[in-house]
Amino acid sequence: MSESTQTPTSSRDVGMILQESEDNRPIIEAIEEDNPECSISHTPGLVRITAPGRLVVLQESVEEKLGREWETHEFQMSIVSYFGNIQEWDDDEIVIAWDH
Amino acid sequence: MTLAPEQKKTKKPKKLSMKARYEALTRGLDWEPSYVDKDEMFPHLDYEGIKIHDWAAWEDPFRLTIDAYCKYQAEKDKRLYAVLDGFAQGQGHLSLTDASYLNAMKIFLQGVTPLEYAAHRHFAYLARHFAGPGPRFAALCQSIDEIRHMQTEIHTLSNYNKLYSGMHNWPEHFDRVWYLSVPKSFFDDAMSCGPFEFLIAVGFSFEYLLTNLLFVPFMSGSSFNGDLPTMTFGFSAQSDESRHMTLGLEAIKFLLEQDEDNVELVQGWIDKWFWRSYRVTALVAQMLDYMLPRKVMSWKESFELYFEEQMLGGLFEDLAFYGIKPPRHVEDAIQEKELLSHQVYWTLYQFSFAAGFTTTMPSEEHLNWLSESYPDTFDTYFRPLWDKEAKNRENGGRHFAPGLPQLCQVCQVPMLFTEPGDPTTLCQRESEFEGEIYHTCSNGCQWIFEREPEKYRQAWLPVHQILAGNCGGPTVPDVLEWYGLQDGDAGEYLGSRDHQNWVAWQGEAAADTAAPSETKAGA
Amino acid sequence: MTIKSIGEYDFPSRSAQENYGDDQLVSVWFQNTMWFASPAMFRAPREMTWGDFKAQMFVPFAQEDPDYDPDAPRTWTLHGSPFEPEDGQTLSELGVRHKDVIGTRVAA
Repeated sequence: MSESTQTPTSSRDVGMILQESEDNRPIIEAIEEDNPECSISHTPGLVRITAPGRLVVLQESVEEKLGREWETHEFQMSIVSYFGNIQEWDDDEIVIAWDH
Repeated sequence: MTLAPEQKKTKKPKKLSMKARYEALTRGLDWEPSYVDKDEMFPHLDYEGIKIHDWAAWEDPFRLTIDAYCKYQAEKDKRLYAVLDGFAQGQGHLSLTDASYLNAMKIFLQGVTPLEYAAHRHFAYLARHFAGPGPRFAALCQSIDEIRHMQTEIHTLSNYNKLYSGMHNWPEHFDRVWYLSVPKSFFDDAMSCGPFEFLIAVGFSFEYLLTNLLFVPFMSGSSFNGDLPTMTFGFSAQSDESRHMTLGLEAIKFLLEQDEDNVELVQGWIDKWFWRSYRVTALVAQMLDYMLPRKVMSWKESFELYFEEQMLGGLFEDLAFYGIKPPRHVEDAIQEKELLSHQVYWTLYQFSFAAGFTTTMPSEEHLNWLSESYPDTFDTYFRPLWDKEAKNRENGGRHFAPGLPQLCQVCQVPMLFTEPGDPTTLCQRESEFEGEIYHTCSNGCQWIFEREPEKYRQAWLPVHQILAGNCGGPTVPDVLEWYGLQDGDAGEYLGSRDHQNWVAWQGEAAADTAAPSETKAGA
Repeated sequence: MTIKSIGEYDFPSRSAQENYGDDQLVSVWFQNTMWFASPAMFRAPREMTWGDFKAQMFVPFAQEDPDYDPDAPRTWTLHGSPFEPEDGQTLSELGVRHKDVIGTRVAA
């Protein structure tokens, strides 16, 4: 484990559950690369991605993997569930983290 | 979706940013009333005691606008209907693991679909009554989502209705059949609350805390049991659910931040609605452990992952900042995770003569899976019951209770739960209100009853109503007819209409693929 | 606490005794077997004798349990306390009220 400067409360796990599909595979890859501390588990049809404190989805990375334009609203097609708080859902990124 | 054109970088600046679009298309469409005052326009916002000082402080993390909403909802529907078509044309139902799997879907259609409709109605009410444009629009979207869920569930399962029992009369079942009064009374209870309590009840306690337990493992179960349409519908609905969870969480934070006096009210609602919602999930617990021919995860595992880890370990630590504590009686729920599904299925097994689904005894392999999944309880408390039933069946019996169960006045589940820490003693709680006695199944339900006895004494308890002669007549056949049940809907699965058809269809399929000289397998 | 509502809030119980005429609801709770998932509820005349209640309601239900022994001596409880009903006593004489729960187990 690396030294963390975060407070203990905000490093609690957050996570998201995505449908495991051909469409989502590049998105999942992008999330994996942008969140090096994340862990991934599978149940039939689903992928669960968790990470301590914070998970980010970056538009730029997803577009690169997909090879096309992708607006962050489109993430609604992929997400099945999440836990944490959606701190940011903007043009360029989606951030899930706890507030406190 | 179109491929990225070469000039994509130059196109982008023409669009408004999400923030600006949201300001213009959602917040910007609000207006100040001119010929009525605000209290007249929003008359239901004060009586619960919640204090709101600034509706503009409401955040919508999704920054949803109506054009984006419609675009993606349409896309979700297109995907779903493509799957439904393919499944119907390819006789997909034959690739289910077993026809008994559909018992879970029958309960889903009878018990959950009408809740979607009820949610649609009541979120429309919130969309009318909240004084801020942010929550009004979020509630409006959820209202439209919920009616879409109802419609897509009906369409998804109508494919099975052509061929299988138990799915032909669900709206009337919902109003009449005994176990369906559990979800029905839950939602009626919520709809008769004020707008803020409803939001905490359904938006937060049900959607954020517990729907993961309903949809996520269950839709994995559909995927694992060959039910592609339900899986697709489930994920399509669940993707809206993320938005609903956000609304629920945003609602609670908004109320807590608006005024310190709101904290105590909100805590009371969390305490009440956690337990009310949790009791409804009892039906889901048994579906996961008993109704899926191919198992995904046990109720216990699912409860630990989606509730204990994510909610108690994550969310409630966050809410502690506002002085919010984990729900009252949550310890009883945690203790029950070892017992819940077994006690509920044992009940449904012996009362399925009056149900819109069938039950059967778990196979040896299934019992072994239950032993492995519940090493601390299954062999001690539940396997002996099934061993006894196996002998009973060998002797030509089949355990159906020859009468009616006592019901809990609040959750309306039969009084099947046991004392915390003692799985062999049924839990009985008795309260008296204005000279009449009322029974509840648990500390949680008793606490809810005693907090608002004037509300719960009106409960339409199916058993009390049957015995009062209000359900078609005094005998079981009278009641079943009043329920609108048909031959093949209820009872034991083995030998039922669905089972016989299934064996015949699988036999035909086997015969079709076998070499011409071989004799027919099965059927 | 009282109900917070937008109008007067006073509605009767839907299970009140007057809905059952001369009868009342009575539940039987089998305390030393889990064979029956929950207590069973019956509608019985208040003036029904204990002997009739046993013969017409209790026994037909109880004997569905393959281990039910009609000759085994039983103990009974009412309102959580032991009581010893006599066959000739009526339910009302025994103090069984509307919606009461009668507990029973095979005597040790």
